[in-house]
Amino acid sequence: MTEATSWKETLGSRIPEDLGREIDIFETQIGLRQQDKLDEIIFAETRLRRGAYGQRYDNGQRFDGSRTQELNFPEGNTKGPNTAWHAPGMQRIKIPCGGLNCAQMDTLADLAEEYSDGICHITTRQDFQLHYVHIEDTVDLMRRLAAVGITTQEACGNAVRNVTACPLAGVCKTQSFDVTPYADALARFLLGHPDMQDFGRKFKIAFSGCRDEACGLTSMHDMGALAVLREGKRGFELYVGGGLGPVPHRAKLIEEFVPAEELLPLTQAIGRVFARLGEKKNRARARIKFLIAKLGIEEFKRLVTEERQLVTEDPLWATTLEGIESHSEEALRPGQALNGMNHLSEGFRRWQETNVYQQGQAGYAVATVNLPLGDITANQLRALADVCRRFVKDTVRTTVEQNFVLRWVSEADLPDLYNALEELDLAAPGAGTIVDITACPGTDTCKLGIASSRGLAGELRQQLSESFLELDQAVKGLRIKVSGCFNACGQHHVADIGFYGVSRKIGGITVPHFQVILGGRWQENAGSFGLAMVAIPSRNIPQVVTRLTERFVQDRNGNESFQDFIERTGKREFRSMLEDLAVVPAYEEDSSFYSDWGAAREFTTGDMGKGECAGEVVPLAHFELSACEREAFEAQMSLDEGEYELAYRTAFSAILHAAKAIVKTQLLDVPDDADTIVEEFRRRFFETELFFDAGTAKDKFARYLFRMHETVIDDYTQDLAHRAVEEAQLFIEAAYACYDRTTSVEAAPVVPLLPK
Amino acid sequence: MDLQRINVKFYLRDGEAISPEEAFRIFNSWIPTTADEILVDVADYSHIAEAQQALLVGHDANYCLDTTDGRKGLMYSRKRPVDGSIAERLRDAFATTLKTCARLERDAGGDGIRFRGEEALLIVNDRLNAPNDEETLAAIEPELDTVLRELFGGAETVVERNGDAKQLFSLQLRARREFDIDTLIENLS
Ligand code: SF4
Repeated sequence: MTEATSWKETLGSRIPEDLGREIDIFETQIGLRQQDKLDEIIFAETRLRRGAYGQRYDNGQRFDGSRTQELNFPEGNTKGPNTAWHAPGMQRIKIPCGGLNCAQMDTLADLAEEYSDGICHITTRQDFQLHYVHIEDTVDLMRRLAAVGITTQEACGNAVRNVTACPLAGVCKTQSFDVTPYADALARFLLGHPDMQDFGRKFKIAFSGCRDEACGLTSMHDMGALAVLREGKRGFELYVGGGLGPVPHRAKLIEEFVPAEELLPLTQAIGRVFARLGEKKNRARARIKFLIAKLGIEEFKRLVTEERQLVTEDPLWATTLEGIESHSEEALRPGQALNGMNHLSEGFRRWQETNVYQQGQAGYAVATVNLPLGDITANQLRALADVCRRFVKDTVRTTVEQNFVLRWVSEADLPDLYNALEELDLAAPGAGTIVDITACPGTDTCKLGIASSRGLAGELRQQLSESFLELDQAVKGLRIKVSGCFNACGQHHVADIGFYGVSRKIGGITVPHFQVILGGRWQENAGSFGLAMVAIPSRNIPQVVTRLTERFVQDRNGNESFQDFIERTGKREFRSMLEDLAVVPAYEEDSSFYSDWGAAREFTTGDMGKGECAGEVVPLAHFELSACEREAFEAQMSLDEGEYELAYRTAFSAILHAAKAIVKTQLLDVPDDADTIVEEFRRRFFETELFFDAGTAKDKFARYLFRMHETVIDDYTQDLAHRAVEEAQLFIEAAYACYDRTTSVEAAPVVPLLPK
Repeated sequence: MDLQRINVKFYLRDGEAISPEEAFRIFNSWIPTTADEILVDVADYSHIAEAQQALLVGHDANYCLDTTDGRKGLMYSRKRPVDGSIAERLRDAFATTLKTCARLERDAGGDGIRFRGEEALLIVNDRLNAPNDEETLAAIEPELDTVLRELFGGAETVVERNGDAKQLFSLQLRARREFDIDTLIENLS
């Protein structure tokens, strides 16, 4: 038996000194917090910056289907406000550009097994997440990662998050050049950089090798760098201020061509301006997109240019980029074409059709390992590492679609690779198609989740997989993305068909719903953001997908894209097409509507007590809020028709009316004038915090009303109108939630709440 | 030797008899009704064929309907340290697993489920203290023998180490004759 020792001792010098020091500090901080010698808020930020995140129920409370149950964790300190020390949490692990080698895959598998639940989960930003990790285990976990060159430093918290890049960078046929070494260099340079430590919120960076393909999604990041060649010289078209979240912002162009050697200093200057001027107190408006929206891109650019002159020359700017142009990846085996398809199985052909991409380099291909819900078991991951050793060496990446790609596969090896993957149950076809659904953790583990995004995604994946072969080619190519709430971690805005979780109270019982988002575009680096159409109960979402896709096949004009089809048909038409699906039957009629996909918790009869009386009366506020939804929808129509002023005004009117509906629950005779509504709302629902979001958004939605009421607009741009439409929908959702929280509904609204 | 993080799995006689969905539902119902330990959450991994398909996460230990090795069974995974000698810790792990198997047998609907008492899997989920090698086996074997004799009422047993060095230390344990769960519980009590 090996003498019991510690991982620190065992790994010794395999842990890089700087990372080791960082982890030692964290270990000390854990000790201090346990002795109550470190403030809980400081400890919370400390652990977040090391990727140790909270997880659902860590406040010690769990709703068991009929009542909220106390989870009596052992006495002890907290890990942060309202976060029990002993509650398991989530550990996020940063993987710059998603790049992994086989040893790292082995380690991740071991850690998932020893400290988590045996599952490695790939996120929508190429990270890994392990769930149910105890805080005491995080130090060993970090040391073992560090020993294979992975850090969790700044994986969460108000810091530079994982730097992402197209998973095809370097092997892509349309790239200007390989962005991998630049993304990697920037990630290394910014890690722990003093100029990047004082942000009010996180800062996400993405790289893309070309403009038209989707992979890098540069338009939806705080900073997006798009590779361009100018007279043979490498550089980047640089964008700032993009982001999804509740209200998505499209990134703005700050520089048409940043020479490669300027990338690091310019990013540093951007970081310094953001740190200096960005919002710090109000979390909900602290992302850089709000600063840019406030200053305007020209002023922001001027400040950055000025700041750039002040940044002291750093030798690291040059040394970090040394030899970067000669960066290359090595293939394990000689590139050889796959000749003769006759002996190949049907399963291989199907997999090849969707999961194999022919590289820019002759004789080589990229193979995608399509993971259900981004999950892979420890055993699968370890075995996958061995498959990689056999076929590709260390050229593996994770993707923002929660898959792996194996690059530099000799085409002649594809059938053997397929067989090897099939043995591991990792050869599912359909990568990048309608069955390859992206989902955030949602209510499974996320503290902010409203509905079960994974449950819904799993259900859709299963249903669509069963009919995949019969699906029309045009439908196969669509992408579905699901978020558990408006925070959009599932990237629903850029899907062909997106969903995010909301809830509605029906007869006193909360019924899980999803907002249907249409009009988003994944291509062209997240070319456009979709908008919410209508909230549909979770149970009916599969039918939404069926109706939308069938209609697409039926009415499509030639090779028309899904986005063009949506635009041509008009959202009004889709809304009326889905309207009947918004109806929630009474519990007695169909109780399945009252629990979520993949949820075991049923509503008890005790819980039903309030909802069992006269089911016909719809609360006034619900009627009024549903009218506001219609107004928000009208605003969306105006936006689509290019009537930006009208769209903005209608959106504001929807917000104002929703505020009025809420005020009316306390003051029946609210006058109609905006000033009074805003004042009453402020007094009754803002100052009392009754309208505040229970999650992290807090006062964010209420402030939409105040800002729009106070601001005089002289230029109604598309961006402004788009944002107003988004904000109207979110305000209305918040009004529903506020109403449900603050009232006990006596009646069961079993009639559709959609306006006619 | 500090042997902690012990996992024990007993296999189902008929793997089809309970679905992950059913186990998920039952585990969820245990969270509010279990008084002697803290159960936190359930997780559903039924979309993966060989995994902890229905997982009940607790503070001291996890329980799951497990198919990781290709066969369905109930696995107990101890997370928090347990006091006592190695034999006492092993006995505790077997006893808790058996108690949970019996509870699942009781709670499963339909025609019911039955576990194969005569075969178990023992894993030490700790590569630092228990690497998967002969040395670990030698260190654990004497005390394991004592516990197995007690568990199987002196029946002949076969202990086989799963050899892959990358895997956790694990032993396949087989008694030469059939046992049901209740008998094993009695043997350990
Ligand atoms: S979108 Fe919402 S539910 Fe999903 S991970 Fe983000 S915050 Fe959580």
